[in-house]
Amino acid sequence: MEIAAIQTRGLTRTFGALTAVQDVTFTVASGQFFGFLGPNGAGKSTTIKMLTGLLEPTAGSIEILGKPFTASALDLKRQIGVVPEGMALMGRLTAPEYLRFVGRMYGLERETVNRRTEELLEFMQLADERRKLITDFSHGMQKKLALAAAVIHGPRVLFLDEPFEGVDAIAAGMLKTMLQGMINRGATIFLTSHVLEIVERLCTHVAIIHQGRLVANGSIEDLRAGVASTLPGAENEQRLTLEEIFLSIVGAGGQEVTQELSWLT
Amino acid sequence: MADLGVNGKDISSSPVRSLARRQYSALVLMRFRMLANSVRSVQGAFEFGARGVAFLIYSMMGIGLGFGLGAGAYSLVSSEHFQYLPALFWTVFLVWQVLPIALASFQEQFDLSTLLRFPVSFGSFYLLSIVFGLVDVPAILGGICCIGIWVGVTLARPALFGWMALILAIYAVFNILLGRAVLAWVDKWLAKRKTREIVSALFLLLMLSAQLLNPALHEHRHHRRGGDRAAQSSEQDVIDELPKWTKSVMAVEPWLPPGLAADTVIRAADGEMQLVLLSVAGLCFYILASGAVLGIRLRGEYRGERLSETPAARRRTADDSKWLIDGSGPIAAVLEKELRIIPRSMPLLFAMGAPLLTVLVISTVLRNTNDSGHPFSWAFPLCVCYALLGFTQMIFNNLGSEGTGIQTIFLSPTPIRTVLLAKNLLHGALFCIVAFLAAVFAAFRLGLPDVTLAATTAAWVVFAVPANLAAGNLLSITMPYRLNLGRLSRQRGSQASALVSMLIQLSVIGCGVVVLELSTYFGKGWLAVPCLLVLAAIAGVAWFRVLAHADSLANRNRESLIATLAKTE
Repeated sequence: MEIAAIQTRGLTRTFGALTAVQDVTFTVASGQFFGFLGPNGAGKSTTIKMLTGLLEPTAGSIEILGKPFTASALDLKRQIGVVPEGMALMGRLTAPEYLRFVGRMYGLERETVNRRTEELLEFMQLADERRKLITDFSHGMQKKLALAAAVIHGPRVLFLDEPFEGVDAIAAGMLKTMLQGMINRGATIFLTSHVLEIVERLCTHVAIIHQGRLVANGSIEDLRAGVASTLPGAENEQRLTLEEIFLSIVGAGGQEVTQELSWLT
Repeated sequence: MADLGVNGKDISSSPVRSLARRQYSALVLMRFRMLANSVRSVQGAFEFGARGVAFLIYSMMGIGLGFGLGAGAYSLVSSEHFQYLPALFWTVFLVWQVLPIALASFQEQFDLSTLLRFPVSFGSFYLLSIVFGLVDVPAILGGICCIGIWVGVTLARPALFGWMALILAIYAVFNILLGRAVLAWVDKWLAKRKTREIVSALFLLLMLSAQLLNPALHEHRHHRRGGDRAAQSSEQDVIDELPKWTKSVMAVEPWLPPGLAADTVIRAADGEMQLVLLSVAGLCFYILASGAVLGIRLRGEYRGERLSETPAARRRTADDSKWLIDGSGPIAAVLEKELRIIPRSMPLLFAMGAPLLTVLVISTVLRNTNDSGHPFSWAFPLCVCYALLGFTQMIFNNLGSEGTGIQTIFLSPTPIRTVLLAKNLLHGALFCIVAFLAAVFAAFRLGLPDVTLAATTAAWVVFAVPANLAAGNLLSITMPYRLNLGRLSRQRGSQASALVSMLIQLSVIGCGVVVLELSTYFGKGWLAVPCLLVLAAIAGVAWFRVLAHADSLANRNRESLIATLAKTE
């Protein structure tokens, strides 16, 4: 039996009286491009933080590559790469210095670190900005650097929190190619994004979290079929986009505009 | 789209005053809410309490200083020694201008540039930048000092009550404006590599000048002492004997703000109203000048200037891939990162360098006030101890400079203890270097200490390093605060952390003092060395224990650590 890349059981996280994530259970198979969707404040980032060891679950368990994952599971941390919410960069370093720092933190050999740093800088089109401090990078450049740092050690499981936010179209195209290449070589990618077109194009499976609870989980085709079956007319199935599926499952949440903002021109 | 306010009124065309008033009240409310919200958490409440304690301590210091200056003013005015009045005003000037730089990293300061996204007029921005400077420590101390002088002069000459109030108010405004201008420009200069290097070079030059200046003055003093000691020189003789450059300085001094302020008092005492008004006009000119200098800087910020612009991209060179520290392990990685960051961070460089400059001053004062020709026995260890103070922030908030990068550390397969160990090794080594330099400076100025004292000082360093590192690691994990390495001022700071770390520093220094005193008291000075080495062994064990538990402690505090260090400005 193939080992799942990520498996959660009853994952729960509370902040005082607020339950941000409640009883979330899902499995991501190895080699899957998995999209994790949800409206703002649904619990996506909280889940990703728990999956990467940045936040301790209040209840439930996490397995990465078949082994229990905790913040102190250092051997497992070598197998994962993360672009967290705040990108986790070090502003007073230059891009090559930061990549070398990260590479060494993952225990890579000197030659490997240097080679991969150069390759990643070239790939991310950051080679000409090597003297600039990260703090002076644009948001898009920082995003590309955070991605480079997340993959420098060749992770088997990659967690990406809004990786395409602020990245230009050319770079986004290259990144998609890179990520698809990783999938082809057997890596697993766990992606959160609000750009549903990108998720639809890249991911084979998605899970949707809403108000802390998992409300849908499966392949896009399965979800499409499931949603279409609830709609009048089976012919709708082929036309449903992921955005329509998402809105149908999450709903506008009763957030139809009930009154116009008349003061807006 | 038009910027519309309530009732469809165009806000941008509203009278500035009305909008500004609303903004001020919004700011006051925001600051109040921030304060009220901060005490919701235990750490916030502790921070609030610490601020209260710090305020009390600074107020006591201010009252002490103010009382001293008041007594001095009373004595000088009642005995009509008006020529020494400038010394009082210079003291206030130093308190107001030097303290902000020394305390910049420890004080929480509101960054007004965050307001620029709102329709804040330049006038409001300027005014707010001054108002926010009124509640910091130097302003409190300076204000109390001014009140002290005012009371002292008024008691000696009640007729000067009104004039003194006016002169000191003008002098205070000048100091506030100049202090803000200095900090704003220092931040600007330190943000760029080139100007940072120039400032660093000037700093080194200043230290070297201080080194060379003192022997020159000392030589002069000895020359005087070697002559006829019995014949007391008259004041004019003393002035005549001073080197040429000091005479130039003394000629300029009356035209500088402290000199002008003192001159105004003298003219007022003599009833020379025309000259009083002339001096007041001179002071007002300085206010306008410093206000303009501040205005130029604030105008740049107001226009959205980014301080941290680095030079244009340069083609890569072969040296770019050079590693400072060999080895691929995480300890080497952290060491290399720290070694690259420290030279780019003026707050850290300043923290390490400033105590050395102070050591020079202390050793100079001790040498010049000690006529016996024998070095003051405590001077040598005192200078070395002082070097430790510069490392307070670096050691007791050693994760503070990571910012959002703290997540990288938590995400990597490197245990926190390894990261802390690497930082500790570097900080310990840097402290030993600075302590050695302080010892060399002290020995150069005060003469070589006897072997027992030198050995005791060395043993104290061996004790102080692990003791500080152990306590520093604990505090860094449990009471962190974000440190912006690109700025000297407008840091977040933490009074609680500053107070606790100072308390620990004083305890470590106190241990050394008690051991040395006791061994001297029992006539066995050498006993201090083994005693301190035993303490060093205990501190070493404590350091290892803290490192061993660092991961579990960091994981317990992981969320607050990330939230505190990764939060945006």
